[in-house]
Amino acid sequence: MLLPEHDFVKPATLAEGLAVLRDAPGDVRLLGGGTDVVFNMRCRLLTPDTLLSLKDLPELQGIAVLPDGSLQLGAACRLTDLVAATVLTERYPALVKAFRAVASRHVRNLATLGGNLCLDTRCWFTNQTKEWRDAKGPCLKTGKDVCHAIAGAPVCVALNNADSPPALIALEATVTLASSRGERRLGLQDFYREDGIRHTVLEPDEILTRVTIPPTTDRLVFLKETARQGMDFSYGAIAVRADGSGATASRLRIVLGSLTTAPRLLAGAAERLAVLGLGDDGLDAACATLRDELGPLTNLYSPAAYKRELARILLRKAVLELREMQA
Amino acid sequence: MKKGFITLHVNGDAHEVLVSSQHTLLDVLRGKLKLMGTKEGCTTGSCGVCTVNNGRGEAVLSCLTPALEWADQSITTIEGLEKNGRLAPIQQAFVEYHAVQCGFCTPGVIMSAQAVLNLTPAPTEEDINDGLAGVICRCTGHIKVKEAIRHVGEFGPTP
Ligand SMILES: Cc1cc2nc3c(=O)[nH]c(=O)nc-3n(C[C@H](O)[C@H](O)[C@H](O)COP(=O)(O)OP(=O)(O)OC[C@H]3O[C@@H](n4cnc5c(N)ncnc54)[C@H](O)[C@@H]3O)c2cc1C
Repeated sequence: MLLPEHDFVKPATLAEGLAVLRDAPGDVRLLGGGTDVVFNMRCRLLTPDTLLSLKDLPELQGIAVLPDGSLQLGAACRLTDLVAATVLTERYPALVKAFRAVASRHVRNLATLGGNLCLDTRCWFTNQTKEWRDAKGPCLKTGKDVCHAIAGAPVCVALNNADSPPALIALEATVTLASSRGERRLGLQDFYREDGIRHTVLEPDEILTRVTIPPTTDRLVFLKETARQGMDFSYGAIAVRADGSGATASRLRIVLGSLTTAPRLLAGAAERLAVLGLGDDGLDAACATLRDELGPLTNLYSPAAYKRELARILLRKAVLELREMQA
Repeated sequence: MKKGFITLHVNGDAHEVLVSSQHTLLDVLRGKLKLMGTKEGCTTGSCGVCTVNNGRGEAVLSCLTPALEWADQSITTIEGLEKNGRLAPIQQAFVEYHAVQCGFCTPGVIMSAQAVLNLTPAPTEEDINDGLAGVICRCTGHIKVKEAIRHVGEFGPTP
């Protein structure tokens, strides 16, 4: 099936791209590798007037270590290039594991970091062909006030299914958003919103240009649960970061992905583990906080009870792995 | 642009083609250049039969990328592997190992296999698995395919 007709624009510089974004009439859609956008255009979930290709923008390229030891990743870096970068494989093996968990090499050879961070939320009803959706009519995301996946849902509860956000949030990464008005920088955890339709705080005139990871010697573990090995979206993923070594840690950051509309930072569980240690007592206490901390979960893609159990299992597995690691 | 001429370097030849923003790279390879070796399968990125190699010899899905993104870029399709009437080593190995059943996915599988060999001329088991994870043969499986890749990795081209 042909893609919806649009104006394809490939700017030479970021400034030029930002001007197009500000001035082009109608709906402008940013294009990284296109592995999500092209699919959604084919399903007529997206019918932009303009596609703005960011892939070759010089300002969005490169992997650099800054003087203070921070790592800076350009938003147009391909996941393949991040997986192959020695600074990353040496310093952040678990982050590389998260990048590698995305789809297949075939997709990662096209897909970009910016595209993974901004990946649209997904739902089993909406992310289907137009013919499928037309059988039931529009939903919250496609223009009506009804959710066909979860009866009575007041807001769109589609899930954030991207693999790299949990690990990057655990590492306290920040994102830089540029517009023709200027630049702003915020913590990645504050980039996401609990709304399946406007799932990030990105303004219509903004482009995510880079990701910055502050220096750290902490341990990091990333785990992803899927139905199949090889290539699959996640049922649930976790990133756990801790200082210290073995079973002792005084500061942890735990992030769950793919269970909710925004990746979920678990402060309570992290606090329990910091106080009680990573031994079995600490682990039990941390798991006991999950139910309250996760709050209500939807049955989207998998039942809420399964999601809660999966969260516990992921936390256990991650902490067991962490315990074996020295700083 | 909504429609315009771009130059595509396909299998070493430069082609000036009129491309619309409605076309994916796959549409242009098959519809405009009549290179029918590359197949259209799921068009959702899941099956991998539309795999071609980019200018770096990596496997990419031609169904998930707008054709206009490929202006002035190089692409190798299954038609480009054979040189002077001789099959490429990986193609020859597919013949010898019977790594083909119905054949529909074969171009995509061979271009995925070629990409593995381009990146890692002596691939490990993990390299091969990782390189084949994005392409699916529904008839049979990947055992014979893996044997063929391993053969080229170990012995290089068969004489
Ligand atoms: C078969 C298949 C399997 C997949 N499996 C996985 C998986 O396991 N895990 C996973 O995480 N993803 C998966 N994906 C989804 C997707 O391929 C990846 O998330 C990929 O990283 C998206 O990157 P992209 O550059 O192709 O994004 P694009 O499709 O180009 O863009 C995605 C979104 O981000 C926006 N965007 C892109 N770049 C920027 C930027 N710089 N600033 C602001 N907004 C931007 C776009 O407008 C769009 O809304 C899969 C896709 C397919 C087809």
